[in-house]
Amino acid sequence: MAEKVIMPKQGLQMTEGTITRWIVREGENCVSGQPLFEMETDKLVITIDANVSGKLLKIIAPEGATVPITETIAIVGQAGEDISALLAQGKPSQANTPVATPLVVPAVAPAQAAGSTPIPVAAPAGPVYATPRARLRAEEKNMNVEQVAGSGPEGLIIERDVLAFTPLKATPLAKAIARQEGVDVSDATGSGSHGKVTRTDVDALIAARKGTQGTRHGTLVPYEGKRKMIGDKMKESLYTHAQLSHQIKVDMSRAVELRESFKAADRKVSYNDFILMATARALMDFPVMNAELTDKGILQKDYVHLGMAVDTPSGLIVPVIRDADLMRLGEISTCAAELADKAKHGKLVPTEYTGSSFTVSNLGMFGLECFVPILNTPESGILGVGKIEKQPVVFNDEIVIRPMMCLTLTYDHRVTDGAPAAQFLARVKQYLENPFLLL
Amino acid sequence: MSIKTYAVAIRDTIAQEMRHDDKVFIMGEDIEVLGGIFGCTRDLAKEFGTERVRNTPITEATFVGAGVGAATAGMRPIVELMYMDFTYVAMDQILNQAAKIRYMFGGKAKVPLVIRGQQGIGRGNAGQHSQSVESLFMHIPGIKVACPSTPAEAAGLLRTAIRDDNPVLFFEHKALYSTKGEVPDDPEFAIPFGKAVIKKEGKDVTIVANLLYVSKALEAAAILEKEGISAEVIDPLTLVPLDIDTIVKSVQKTGRLITVHEAHREGGWGAEIAAQVTEKAFRYLDSPPIRLGAKQCTLPFNLGLENAVVPQVDQIVQAAKQSLYR
Amino acid sequence: MDRERALHIYATMNRIRKFEEKAVQLFEANKLRGSVHLYIGEEAIAATVCSQMTDQDYITSTHRGHGHAIAKGATLDRALAELMGKATGYCKGRGGSMHIADLEKGNLGANAIVGGGVPIAVGGALAQKMKGEKQFTVSFFGDGASNQGTVHESMNLASLWKLPIIFICENNGFGISVPTWQSTSVKDVSVRAAGYNMPGETVDGNDVMAIDAAVERAKTRALNGEGPSFIECKTYRWKGHWTGDPETYRTREEVASWMERCPIKAFRAYLLKNGIAQEKELDDIENAATAEMEAATEFALNSPEPDPAQVMDDVFFVG
Repeated sequence: MAEKVIMPKQGLQMTEGTITRWIVREGENCVSGQPLFEMETDKLVITIDANVSGKLLKIIAPEGATVPITETIAIVGQAGEDISALLAQGKPSQANTPVATPLVVPAVAPAQAAGSTPIPVAAPAGPVYATPRARLRAEEKNMNVEQVAGSGPEGLIIERDVLAFTPLKATPLAKAIARQEGVDVSDATGSGSHGKVTRTDVDALIAARKGTQGTRHGTLVPYEGKRKMIGDKMKESLYTHAQLSHQIKVDMSRAVELRESFKAADRKVSYNDFILMATARALMDFPVMNAELTDKGILQKDYVHLGMAVDTPSGLIVPVIRDADLMRLGEISTCAAELADKAKHGKLVPTEYTGSSFTVSNLGMFGLECFVPILNTPESGILGVGKIEKQPVVFNDEIVIRPMMCLTLTYDHRVTDGAPAAQFLARVKQYLENPFLLL
Repeated sequence: MSIKTYAVAIRDTIAQEMRHDDKVFIMGEDIEVLGGIFGCTRDLAKEFGTERVRNTPITEATFVGAGVGAATAGMRPIVELMYMDFTYVAMDQILNQAAKIRYMFGGKAKVPLVIRGQQGIGRGNAGQHSQSVESLFMHIPGIKVACPSTPAEAAGLLRTAIRDDNPVLFFEHKALYSTKGEVPDDPEFAIPFGKAVIKKEGKDVTIVANLLYVSKALEAAAILEKEGISAEVIDPLTLVPLDIDTIVKSVQKTGRLITVHEAHREGGWGAEIAAQVTEKAFRYLDSPPIRLGAKQCTLPFNLGLENAVVPQVDQIVQAAKQSLYR
Repeated sequence: MDRERALHIYATMNRIRKFEEKAVQLFEANKLRGSVHLYIGEEAIAATVCSQMTDQDYITSTHRGHGHAIAKGATLDRALAELMGKATGYCKGRGGSMHIADLEKGNLGANAIVGGGVPIAVGGALAQKMKGEKQFTVSFFGDGASNQGTVHESMNLASLWKLPIIFICENNGFGISVPTWQSTSVKDVSVRAAGYNMPGETVDGNDVMAIDAAVERAKTRALNGEGPSFIECKTYRWKGHWTGDPETYRTREEVASWMERCPIKAFRAYLLKNGIAQEKELDDIENAATAEMEAATEFALNSPEPDPAQVMDDVFFVG
């Protein structure tokens, strides 16, 4: 009895997924519990296992297709089964799926969509025939003759096909931008490895074109996928919360010393680990900061799932250290490191980037002294961390040099007032200035 | 240099050679008083007498055989066949005797015999008088085969033929006799055997043609030039010995080969050249060699039918395009 | 000779003459391709010999074969159509003047290779003998051909096997330009018959009665199974070897003298003199021939060209 394979909902806010790779090909057998396909949500690639065993009779949503959750993407069954009835049902619809969560934009990566390259590449299905002269030319050009699409009878590759063939190496983004701007990506000079055309090269090409054409229009980057998702979230954050910020400066001398001690004992602990630990503790002291305003009321959580904002090649993501309040410094350190690594490689699973109750965002590594974050909705508080910098401060009426760090707390005034928020922030400062309290 | 017709170029060369060497004589049908039905021996009897310019009875087998004997015995006979179709009548003397005497006698004998005459379509002479038979003589070892397509070539190749100590079959074309061209006056002017001539340079496709089809190939090349296809036209001049290297070099450059001749397509000399080129220039070929020749059908009397059998200029053009996958 | 056959011979000679004259005209008007080899002046031979034959008796002919073909029963219209290469010609336009054949009338074909038809005639006679038919074959060839090796081989074989064949040598004095004295080692070709153990005689080729008597003898011999005979008919070719022959090899006077001995005129005189026919009858026959030739011309001119799409037909028999 044939069964539908549907686009599974993965993560609370997912409304659509993009199939990036069918691991099992149409006509092959799949085994329950074994990988069936890979898909993308929020730019993360997830491998989905098959739910049933059988022959993958039909792939309805091919690689590159974006499908709303619960829609049918394939049919698994026995060889020779009549699946016309199932096929008739399973047509993907255009409407949004009825999930009452804020929009998550489909994570379509145009530069990665299959078949969008302008170069005709022969799909090698069976023996490839080329004339001797065509092969001779391919040898001279140091290329594989079989790459070329043949214009001779029955697809025979002839001399002029090889002479006209230019294998183009360009990054997906370069190609996308080129297409957007209406320029031929093969006109750009590749500066990447082996002459690969990168986005920069295409930009240069476009700029040069504009220079010669006398017009400047700026560069258009697609506002979609993750970017849009972030944008929508940020907008939502500002619309929804009554947010404002407090700032405080922290003397990190003792944190520095403690860190050195750890180093001497061959243990790696980062300043950020101290900050996370301090924040988690402070949240337990001031649960009002660890709250969420729901339509049922203010939910003060008795767990701390600490989000730590991470910048990755594909944009901002906030992995979550779950139950950070129950962790010791060492565990937080390990967990943070793991999550950061996973985030950078796009390997986080949904439970690892959803469900945070409070977020820490550290932009110190970019040289910012202080900055004002906005709430990671629906949380009620976010801590923005600046860089640690030696500054002259007054201590005991004397000017001394201390490693100072600026913390900025943005909080939701619907949930709490300025004083408690200030107190929370002061507590964080206290923990950081007396780090032995964290051990 | 003089402007002469192809026929006069032949006549003058025979005269020059007969002056040059007493042992040269010519025999054939109607060559004495009539001067040959195409005028190739006009007035020769007046200058050289009837001993050296002999009318023969209509006995091709016998007078070709007499030529073989005379040549073996030290003379340098030229035998005129009125139509080269009549070589068939004398086949035994040509292929079993003239071609083999030197070899079978251990290299001691020489047969400096020239058998010359015209062939081909053009005068409505029907099946037995319009053939192109040069391909047959490429096949049997021991005979040289020459086919001039211009008056200068007729003169230059004929001199080489007469002075060659081997049997030479010299194929003239009836439709070329009245064509005119520049011919060197030098009585020593000779064109060597075994050197093909590139009559038009090109880079996209090689066309090999002889006799009447040289001008047709050039016509086709001009048409192709207008369509952006550059054809190289080669005349082999002699089929035995054959200058295959010039043709191979050309195909290495162009990648495509067409052979075209008036002789029948199957087993015609075009097939031999196509095979040799494929052997020697396989890597350079972008398409299989194309052979054009008369259909495997006796040449019909009616002009429309005849034109349906022999290759036409537009067929050469189409073949060139086909070789380029257009 | 009975009157009917005599008149038939006279009619045939006239029809041949009209045909050949028309052929020349059409050639000069560029309506004929290639060239024609005219039988004018030699009509007596074909007409007389073939008058002794049935449709089951064979002939082979030569490049100068219009006369033989007509005498052996070819109609003027289809013969002319063949000369013009039309689809309605005897050979569908494939053969032309030199290759007219009509097997239904026993004409095994004209051959353009000099002496080429003689071995074929021998084969025809052989078949007749082997089938036990009371038929015979006539091989027409010229003085030029008489020197061809194949002719000698044929004479030898026919004699050896006692084939019912008559070798008719139409000695018209020339090959193309080469006179017989320059090509032929004997004065009367018929003497060679002795060399091949068969009777040979030389007759005046312009004298119907002389030819007929010789043919009668040879025919009897053949049908009795006694073997071949050789009849040399001395005649003269009035026109050049082919249309366009400059005839530099003979004098106008020589031609004129032979034209005086026109076989048609001679036979007309004979018929009248011996009361076999009336002037009017003979005029009517002549006029009928003219009219027939005009009609044939119309037919041939209006006949269609053969279709090039069918050029490859008949290369082989497909059964």
